[in-house]
Amino acid sequence: MTAAAAPLDRFSYDDDIVRKFLWATILWGVVGMLVGLVIALQLANPAFNLGLEYTSFGRLRPLHTNAVIFAFAGNAFFCGCYYSSQRLLKARMFSDGLSRFHFWGWQAIIVAAAITLPLGYTQAKEYAELEWPMDIAIAVVWVAFGINFFGTIARRRERHLYVALWFYIASIVTVAILHIFNNLSLPAAPFKSYSIYAGVQDAFMQWWYGHNAVAFFLTTPFLGLMYYFLPKAADRPVFSYRLSILHFWSLVFMYIWAGPHHLHYTALPEWASTLGMLFSVMLWMPSWGGMVNGLLTLRGAWQKVVDDPILKFFVVGITAYGMSTFEGPMLSIKTVSALAHYTDWIIAHVHTAALGWNGFLTFGMIYWLAPRLFQAPLYSRKAAETHFWIATFGLLLYVVAIYAAGVTQGLMWRAFDTTGRLQYPDFVETVAKLLPMYWTRVIGGGLYIVGLLVMVWNLVMTWKRRPATYDVPVVLAAPLARHVPEPVLPVGTSVWARFTAARWHRNWEGLPLVFTVMTTVAVVVASLFEILPTFLIRSNVPTIASVTPYTPLELAGRDIYIREGCFNCHSQMIRPFRHETERYGEYSKPGEFVYDHPFLWGSRRIGPDLARQGGKYPDLWHVRHMEKPQSINPKSIMPPYAHLLRHDIDFDGIETRVGVMAMLGVPYGASIGKAAEQARAQARAIAAGVVAQGGPAGLETKEILALTAYLQRLGTDIRKVPTQTASAGARPEEH
Amino acid sequence: MKLSDIMGHAGLAGYAQIALLLFFGVFLAVVWRLYFSSARHSYEAAARLPLEADPTELPARPEGPR
Repeated sequence: MTAAAAPLDRFSYDDDIVRKFLWATILWGVVGMLVGLVIALQLANPAFNLGLEYTSFGRLRPLHTNAVIFAFAGNAFFCGCYYSSQRLLKARMFSDGLSRFHFWGWQAIIVAAAITLPLGYTQAKEYAELEWPMDIAIAVVWVAFGINFFGTIARRRERHLYVALWFYIASIVTVAILHIFNNLSLPAAPFKSYSIYAGVQDAFMQWWYGHNAVAFFLTTPFLGLMYYFLPKAADRPVFSYRLSILHFWSLVFMYIWAGPHHLHYTALPEWASTLGMLFSVMLWMPSWGGMVNGLLTLRGAWQKVVDDPILKFFVVGITAYGMSTFEGPMLSIKTVSALAHYTDWIIAHVHTAALGWNGFLTFGMIYWLAPRLFQAPLYSRKAAETHFWIATFGLLLYVVAIYAAGVTQGLMWRAFDTTGRLQYPDFVETVAKLLPMYWTRVIGGGLYIVGLLVMVWNLVMTWKRRPATYDVPVVLAAPLARHVPEPVLPVGTSVWARFTAARWHRNWEGLPLVFTVMTTVAVVVASLFEILPTFLIRSNVPTIASVTPYTPLELAGRDIYIREGCFNCHSQMIRPFRHETERYGEYSKPGEFVYDHPFLWGSRRIGPDLARQGGKYPDLWHVRHMEKPQSINPKSIMPPYAHLLRHDIDFDGIETRVGVMAMLGVPYGASIGKAAEQARAQARAIAAGVVAQGGPAGLETKEILALTAYLQRLGTDIRKVPTQTASAGARPEEH
Repeated sequence: MKLSDIMGHAGLAGYAQIALLLFFGVFLAVVWRLYFSSARHSYEAAARLPLEADPTELPARPEGPR
């Protein structure tokens, strides 16, 4: 595509970095999935929490999600991106140093996550749990990756940017934007920070981020990989290049709007919820554009799939993508969400996508790459076939069981008997019913891991056959002569004729900077249109005069709630449905959360909602329950939190934390400078009450009291009489 | 007076629809560009980019089974 007369450049590709990322993918895949198996066992039987504070479900679940998303899928993306970008651009990576910095920096962040999450350092935002020092490190490493990637584009020897690169560009740019804006927070300690957003706005930002993390970390990068590695493996070009462009732009424009579907029937303004639903339903089409394009690439070549485990992985992976991108829009419809939200249905949905799409695409890519990177034939094609069948069976067993669990849960929560009362008023009944499905998931997930281990063995055996030194072929390619014009298209003289010749768009494609700017504009404009109104239009979050900030002790208790990851199993958001108000109390109002930095609405109810927990049980109940949940409720699957009765409250740190909250605009005026003293006084009063109820003495300084104070406060403010004249904004809201 | 008061009274309720129209316009432009413009045939070559073999000085080792 370049001038033939130019002298050829001689260079080589950096495959060493690709090999590094490949091994990291495998390593973190094994680790992340094993942690997943552990937490699956914990739900089936709480004994697997091991009674240790570091290994409870609430602390390990974020470790699982972070490990499989950012460590396994992340390294898989980098692996395929470094391999394919160099070849598509006919250039070595911009800087070997930046490549190495990217690799080691990313692995260091993963190790830091694996240490800090079990220790309870978390921001309490799903898939953005890592605390601020690691957030900064992520931003730095990501920027290094971006410089390396765009630097390579700048030095490319192929004018046209193949569509896979477009997907990479969109991913790199958007992930940076999402990461930075969702993680804005004020540090209160070396590993503790408070989100600058509160309540409804924090929820909005989080799910804008959360949904687009799915879009731009697990979807667009992997579509890019699909567009490179599927044609390579099938040895034929993609079905329709034009369709790939069409669905690229549609995806980029639409995905960014879809986040609010995670918040249907919550205190989010209804217009935002509806907007999110509409864009989610529209997303079905561009998503299926990608699926159809992938599957039809194999048209007329299906006989190859019979013999080739790589194509088998790709076909099932792309099919899983199609299934989950049909299911996603369906789940985003409000009436479907009403049943599915907070249930295991969502877990089944994400595992169809993660195990099927991300997992299988990665496995197919690695089996294709291994012989090329290790310069030796794959050790066993039969083992790869075996891996495929074990993984497929494991995947199906996992998702079928958990779909069944999710629907069962949803139906039991909303069931009324003939007298008009809840049929299953005791939440634990709806949990006990799920245990057979939870055990089936353990088996299904276990099989998937067995398949992965077969692959590890196969790769190690292949690697052992590598040559003593790897060949590094010298590639010859003509430099990109910038002065050489594009092949001239017939262009008329009128403005219209020039416009219709579409040279302008062709030029964009050759200008990565302009292209990147256009992608960024698409993402940023959509985000602003959707997010700004909740920040700027006051009627979106009506205030309630009786809602006041947490006391210093309650704030300390809230931080313990965050540390233990209670939000992983308990929501704090009652939806305006009769079955929910019957079970939990008055539905939640936006104005109740104005001091919640961060919001703790949760996304799942493995245990009951806690939004109106305050005053439901005596203090002693909470002490006993946290010490050993099964002593109160024998069927409970909650882990024990006996360490809260041993650990002392960090009274010295309370002052700083209250100060940071005050900086964020929480009216703590009366408590500034006296926070620790106030906390001690409130703790003494609660401790005396616990003793009076027949409980243990000597808890005055223990963490359990702070947590109890927080739980007893939850949802009680709207029942109080406001101390000052109610403002106009304090009227009861309609939903 | 806060920024939120100004925005609250600015009558911006309809601007999501305007955004929708803008985005739909871009979508139509992309469709037209891909399927109806005179440049629509230029994508055949682009689709083959991943399959182009790089000329090398060293004969590459035999590739693994596929």
